[in-house]
Amino acid sequence: MIDDETLDRQLREAAPYIDDDGFTASVMARLPAARREPRWLRAMILMGMTLLGSGVVYLLSGGGRFVREGVIQLSDFPVWLLLIFAFGCGLVVGAFAVILAIRKTPEVRDLARLRF
Amino acid sequence: MELTDADLVARVLADDDQHAFGELVRRHQSTVRGMLRQLTRTDIALADDLAQETFIRAYKNIRGFRGEARFSTWLYRIAYNCFREDARRRKELVGVDEEQWQGEQDPQTVDPGLRHDLMHALNLLPLHERTAVVLCCQNGLSHDEAARVLDIPLGTVKTNVLRGREKLKRTLAAWGPN
Repeated sequence: MIDDETLDRQLREAAPYIDDDGFTASVMARLPAARREPRWLRAMILMGMTLLGSGVVYLLSGGGRFVREGVIQLSDFPVWLLLIFAFGCGLVVGAFAVILAIRKTPEVRDLARLRF
Repeated sequence: MELTDADLVARVLADDDQHAFGELVRRHQSTVRGMLRQLTRTDIALADDLAQETFIRAYKNIRGFRGEARFSTWLYRIAYNCFREDARRRKELVGVDEEQWQGEQDPQTVDPGLRHDLMHALNLLPLHERTAVVLCCQNGLSHDEAARVLDIPLGTVKTNVLRGREKLKRTLAAWGPN
């Protein structure tokens, strides 16, 4: 009787490489047309909209007066409160960064699934 | 340095780069077409039509590939779905046809060469066992990956592989070491 290993090897060898022979070309010919707008155009549109929005907000807010007033108010706070505020902001931003990194990186995501 | 499948997929996603997708097709066409030839019992024209459909669907739905499995596993799943839908379209109730087809075959037929006998024996297996054997033993997928491709429980895949192997061994007993 043939053993499992020999059988698997024979099965792999019995399935020879199939030459492309125009297959890829025929698939490519049937693909739907690629999106037309290039990547840089999307980036330019996004940047333009951002600049326009920022300009409108700046003009409507009286030349950014509220920012100056906010900074003056903040400078009246005690130092320890500012430190706690900065530390809290750091924690929140760091937590979001870690979550995003885990979601975007398959290697790190797979580590969470490992069984020890 | 050769780009990985993940790099090529990333290019397709970012820039809709059809050249990158073409490279993916070139890399995987042989295994996908080979698998479909086994499933369609070496009906080469039908297998190649289904393989084309597989790659076109893969391109259209590439945003659905989340990189949790290998790209080839994802392709096998699409290929298997294409095959099943086609079988349904042709109103081929797989189980009935299997029995009918097997009734027409003579398992004792002697073909020259182990390879020929092996492919013949493989074609005699019921579809669920043949598919499991082709994916796991021939294409090197793990049982877990095959379960994902076929969308069936892991235990069922293991049973199908085991039964398929045993039947192949019995059919090919004459080729074993004496």
